[in-house]
Amino acid sequence: MAISPTPTAAALLLTSFLFLLAPYATPISSDPIVSELSALQSQAPTGVIHLTDSLLRRILSLPSPRPFYSLIFFDAHQLHSKPELSLPTLKSEFSLVSSSFQFNNPNERSQLFFFDIEFQESQASFALFGVNSLPHIRLIPPTASDMKRDSIQMDASDFSRLADSMAEFIESRTGLSVGPINRPPIVSRKQIMFLLAIVLIWTPFFVKKLIAGNTILHEKHVWMAGAVIVYFFSVSGTMFNIIRKMPIFMVDRQDPSKLVFFYQGSGMQLGAEGFAVGFLYTIVGLLLAFVTHVLVRVRNRTVQRLFMIFAMFVSFWAVKKVVFLDNWKTGYGIHGYWPSSWQ
Amino acid sequence: MAAPETPQPDTLRHAFGNVLSFFVLLLIGVLAFSIRLFSVIKYESVIHEFDPYFNYRVTQYLTKSGVYDFWNWFDDRTWYPLGRVIGGTVYPGLTLTAGTLWRILNFLNIPLSVETVCVFTAPIFSAFASWATYLLTKEVKGAGAGLTAAALLAMVPSYISRSVAGSYDNEAVAIFALIFTFYLYIKTLNTGSLFYATLNAIAYFYMVCSWGGYTFIINLIPMHVLLCIVTGRYSSRLYIAYAPLVVLGTLLASLVPVVGFNAVMTSEHFASFLVFIIIHVVALVYYIKGILTPQMFKVAVTLVVSVGLIVCGAVLAVLIALVASSPTKGWSGRSLSLLDPTYASKYIPIIASVSEHQPPTWPSYFMDINVLAFLVPAGIIACFLPLSDASSFAVLYIVTSVYFSGVMVRLMLVLAPAACIMSGIALSEAFDVFTRSIKFQLFGATKDPQVNAGDTNVTQNEVVKPEKSEDSLKERSSRKSKKKEKENVETVPLVSRIEKKLLVLPLEASLIAIFLLVLLGAFYVVHCVWAAAEAYSAPSIVLTSRSHDGLHVFDDFREAYAWLRHNTDVDDKVASWWDYGYQTTAMANRTVIVDNNTWNNTHIATVGTAMSSPEKAAWEIFNSLDVKYVLVVFGGLVGYPSDDINKFLWMVRIGGGVFPHIKEPDYLRDGQYRIDSQATPTMLNCLMYKLSYYRFVETDGRGFDRVRHTEIGKKYFKLTHFEEVFTTHHWMVRIYKLKSPRNRVRGKTKKSKSKSTSTSISRRSGARKKNPWH
Repeated sequence: MAISPTPTAAALLLTSFLFLLAPYATPISSDPIVSELSALQSQAPTGVIHLTDSLLRRILSLPSPRPFYSLIFFDAHQLHSKPELSLPTLKSEFSLVSSSFQFNNPNERSQLFFFDIEFQESQASFALFGVNSLPHIRLIPPTASDMKRDSIQMDASDFSRLADSMAEFIESRTGLSVGPINRPPIVSRKQIMFLLAIVLIWTPFFVKKLIAGNTILHEKHVWMAGAVIVYFFSVSGTMFNIIRKMPIFMVDRQDPSKLVFFYQGSGMQLGAEGFAVGFLYTIVGLLLAFVTHVLVRVRNRTVQRLFMIFAMFVSFWAVKKVVFLDNWKTGYGIHGYWPSSWQ
Repeated sequence: MAAPETPQPDTLRHAFGNVLSFFVLLLIGVLAFSIRLFSVIKYESVIHEFDPYFNYRVTQYLTKSGVYDFWNWFDDRTWYPLGRVIGGTVYPGLTLTAGTLWRILNFLNIPLSVETVCVFTAPIFSAFASWATYLLTKEVKGAGAGLTAAALLAMVPSYISRSVAGSYDNEAVAIFALIFTFYLYIKTLNTGSLFYATLNAIAYFYMVCSWGGYTFIINLIPMHVLLCIVTGRYSSRLYIAYAPLVVLGTLLASLVPVVGFNAVMTSEHFASFLVFIIIHVVALVYYIKGILTPQMFKVAVTLVVSVGLIVCGAVLAVLIALVASSPTKGWSGRSLSLLDPTYASKYIPIIASVSEHQPPTWPSYFMDINVLAFLVPAGIIACFLPLSDASSFAVLYIVTSVYFSGVMVRLMLVLAPAACIMSGIALSEAFDVFTRSIKFQLFGATKDPQVNAGDTNVTQNEVVKPEKSEDSLKERSSRKSKKKEKENVETVPLVSRIEKKLLVLPLEASLIAIFLLVLLGAFYVVHCVWAAAEAYSAPSIVLTSRSHDGLHVFDDFREAYAWLRHNTDVDDKVASWWDYGYQTTAMANRTVIVDNNTWNNTHIATVGTAMSSPEKAAWEIFNSLDVKYVLVVFGGLVGYPSDDINKFLWMVRIGGGVFPHIKEPDYLRDGQYRIDSQATPTMLNCLMYKLSYYRFVETDGRGFDRVRHTEIGKKYFKLTHFEEVFTTHHWMVRIYKLKSPRNRVRGKTKKSKSKSTSTSISRRSGARKKNPWH
């Protein structure tokens, strides 16, 4: 079991020593480009380097184990207006990951570079990677030689949770830790101070008014309107529309000139549909309240009569419409259980 | 106030009204109970679904071993080999309630089984809940509105869905506790009595024992108190209603093991403490205002306000520092997703993936509260005319609950009582106006208001309710007037009472309006009965399907559990996906590896990995967990869609989350989940596929799966490490036994193996005289 310097062991040691040396040896040959990239990185506000065809060619011309990873965000300005791609959001999240990475790992800045590339000016690079749909984010490992085959595409699931999942992707594929994402606060420090000062100055006046009992909070009609509005928005399924990001209406698949406002199937609804039914839900109650609390005070019999006929007509129509829409949408057949002798 | 002038008819009418209300309430209770019996009539008296089986098992243990043993119960029949501390991790309210009920019935020599008591606990408490609704609404708007609201609540579909006979779950008693706690709070607020305040704290304790939704109460009541203070409605009654609740309620809540120190440590409870401080500051201000002259008070107010602000600020700073030290700011994921609806979908996929936590669309409201959705706005407005402490609470309740229900469909259950109260108020006010119009015009009784109060012989049934409600409101407010705090409310009914006699609508229009309202109510009844009978009564342990040749009953689950109970050793371990854990322990009385209390993700992932692995690897995992039987649910023969093959991707995902060698793409062909000939080899060789489709081709000759509507990919194969021991009548549950390890002729491994696991196996196989390894 004694350690004896056999020739095999010596060779093993030598090779492992060479391997150890390798990472330190390569930067010498690719030094100018790395330092150029570092300079570009420090110039960019978030550390995302704008990539062009020529720069990419020079990066790829480096000998195969390059000393850094490259993460490329493929961008196209003309598609920024398409909401379903959400390119602007992804791009800002991408730069957030970049700035967080450089802030958290000042020593490893030159091991992972973040790039963005624009379709209009660098179509050749898009072709090189075979990118034909966006959003598209690609990681080039140091050993990659064939760009289409060796680089790793980030799956849709990897940017579904925006910056956090992008960071996880980087960590799993490169072994470099991004660290916590530093999101800029929604309001800056100065704004917070300003708001705080206003609140502090305003508080004594407000407390004084509160004790006196004449603020907008003491106006019960405000509360009444607020309560009804909250009710309206809730029963319209607004939360559903917000959480699922449902559009107000859709274009019919079969006939693009037609618009679809009502979606059949109970698991989903469109924005307009929800608000329409929410309105029907609310209007009946409001009319009933108006009749029972306001109309009774009206002295004129004809006005009372006409308005009641109007209210009853509208309410009846609204209930009938909702029942009809519900049966149409869900496909339930609601029926009573009558004695069998009646049939 | 006509009472002193005509005492005789008035008392008579009161007595008549009270007796009538009593019988109406009795009928409402019967209605609430009986509408929930559809599940027993259509199926049988059986516990439903998954979680109720666990509650049933806990109740059985409680009745057998007593409260103390239940409190200290460590369950070794589940989460093998970890076990689970039951006493410290369940809300004990439901179990203790049903256990007490059973004990009382036995004491009275009524020999009901524990199961029967459990099955009917939910309907009984629904009746209680509708009575509690009557009490609460009576406090808000009088007895007429109370009766209407109680009748509506007795059959509101949203509540029926959680409380049919057999659905023995926490919500069944929790909704009653919720409404009753609110009633006692309002009662205290209206009377200022410490007696009710104490009862309120005890009711709150019962709610904490029953359901995690108690946080709704402990946030809603402080919100209401704050609202009252801000709108200048502070009174000593408010103080009495709130301060004892916080002190006693928090102390009592921390007695419940599952809550414990959470009652003071988590952010869900901080609102109550903050308001507790504020109400003391305000109380001090009012007290000083009372003893000082106005000039002195002005000096003092600056002092007190500044001191109060400093104290508040200091406490606030401490709270914020405490809260900010935890990553989620001290809020649980579910609470956060209520405050910020987009939170869960972004950060907690587990919460977002559960169907109960989805936001509802508009048809959900129509399904669950039906025509009440139309009436609620009228109720909200009625609560503002006139606004009292109690009615402002009702408004706050409906607004918060309707918002929460918009975020999570599950909270529709909390909305339902509020919607019933509001609709009850709206309907009662509407009937009040319309019947009054008819009464005065049809009977020509437009005499002066004083005389009218006495003409009992004219009053019809529907008139009794509104008249009575008005009287009780008046009576209550006169009682309060002794305390001289109720200026605003006290004057309004008096004024409106005199005015009302002249406020009428046209006769024929009122008749039509009443007819339409009755029609609306009738539609509600039809809908509720339909929902109770068709939509919400399926126990999901027994399935039925109606086809052209009659009714088919699929009782495979109980068949399989009974087989396990009668044919396996009492200490055998059964592995299945976690959905069937509670049922297996409760019905088969066998130890399971994972169950529906998904507290240990790694353990679940281990089972998921085994199900996703090839036979040999799966056998090794199961064998290391001492598993002897594996149970899979298979719907391919009868077309039962929620079987294990359809849940399989979740097993892969959860398994892969902990054991990275399981990769979801290996089971998908071009991103599609399929089990036909295009399926991936990994899919066709995994344990779940094999156990589900073993010998399946023998049924129809070509192996056509009726759920996936396709022929299966691999039809003829043999099992090497598992043997089929039981398949139920419709093939819905299939049970396999792990083959005992192959005998090793040489080497030492044989001895060590046989010592640990094979002893019972060899004994059993010896008894059967059948060795699968010839």
